[in-house]
Amino acid sequence: MSEAILRAEGLHKRYGELEVLRGVSFEVARGEVKVIIGPSGSGKSTLLRCLSLLEEPDAGEVSLEGRRPGHGEVGMVFQRFNLFQNMTALGNVMVGLTDVRRLPKREARDQAIEFLERVGLRDKAHQYPDELSGGQQQRVAIARALVMRPKAMLFDEPTSALDVELVREVLDVMEGLARDGMTMVVVSHELRFAHHVASSILMMDEGAVIEEAPPAEFFSAPKHERTRRFLALVE
Amino acid sequence: MVLGFALALGRSSRRRTVRGSVSVYNWLFRATPTLLQLLFIWDALPQLWHVFAGTWFTPFLAAFIALSLNEAAYMAQITRAGLLSVAPGEELAGRALGLSRRQILRRVIVPQAVRVVIPPTGNEFITLLKLTSLASVISVHELLTAAQELAAVRFQYPEAFLSALVYYLVLVSILMAVQSRLERRFTWTSARRGRRRAAPAVPVVSHDAR
Repeated sequence: MSEAILRAEGLHKRYGELEVLRGVSFEVARGEVKVIIGPSGSGKSTLLRCLSLLEEPDAGEVSLEGRRPGHGEVGMVFQRFNLFQNMTALGNVMVGLTDVRRLPKREARDQAIEFLERVGLRDKAHQYPDELSGGQQQRVAIARALVMRPKAMLFDEPTSALDVELVREVLDVMEGLARDGMTMVVVSHELRFAHHVASSILMMDEGAVIEEAPPAEFFSAPKHERTRRFLALVE
Repeated sequence: MVLGFALALGRSSRRRTVRGSVSVYNWLFRATPTLLQLLFIWDALPQLWHVFAGTWFTPFLAAFIALSLNEAAYMAQITRAGLLSVAPGEELAGRALGLSRRQILRRVIVPQAVRVVIPPTGNEFITLLKLTSLASVISVHELLTAAQELAAVRFQYPEAFLSALVYYLVLVSILMAVQSRLERRFTWTSARRGRRRAAPAVPVVSHDAR
């Protein structure tokens, strides 16, 4: 495996009394796909939010290529898509380019269309989020993050708000990204996706990583009792 | 409206003194009758501060100030509901993209809040228009007073009041037409027909007893 690109070191985070992260460290190599699983409240989402700088950890450090990540360098995709309801699909994908990257409108538009094409939604460019299915909205959200040319992409349960028949189209886009060599950290309970795409799987419980292994090993011979019980529940 | 917006932002300020004074303002202006506020500003204020005793302080100006201050308190509540109606996830997504707080407010939150705020704001304008009839007590020559004078001179009450009624109807109808145009303007479907999911509920304030 090549060098680590995204690194978390000793992350601690507490909300009042609740200690959500208790010293999480891990690194992701370029082109690697890490899937994080674990029960709700185990700190998975908080970890992603720290990695994307949406939350400031109380202690510990996040680095991308050895320094603090800049705006849009780590793309984030949310469970509930979080598209801007007052903008079309195209508007959602463009706004980061025009307002953060300060690109001229025409250029931003061309690039946005290119990325909508990539997620198979060029023909929906002028639709508002309200008029799109959940799967389409999530694909727009992926394009919105990708257009910023992130060095890594984070996915926070990207398919758990979707109807079953819409999960596939989102996973297909993500698998395509993985094949193209995108570095990804995915919180998801889609175990089949984890099995086929992940370079390694992390199990989190009570704010700590309790196990990490490549998928084959992780599923066939989980070391931890907690992991075994969790896998039995999810499957 | 501008004051109302500022007050609404003040309510979610991080500074406690700001939040506190906005609450006191809203409480004061919503808990007292508009008529009293009007009389207070016209009759009591000049005695308290001599600056207001000059001839520049006309009844019209006093009515304007009183009704604006009063209206701002209501608009603040409405605007706040509008700002809160925007899903917090959109702010998060904006931050993840690297948009600044100001950009998120301007590009995402305010446009959506406007949509929610239009119907109750329409109500406010209509109420305000009718509240102007109260200004007669501080001798502003408003519509209803004009009608009364006319009626008294010619002794033609039905005609005078009916024509006042027609004037009110025309003015309010214009406001309503503007409102429905604005609502269409701020509806985000490609067809711009009201297919958008129902706007989040805004607490409706009853004005009947103002």
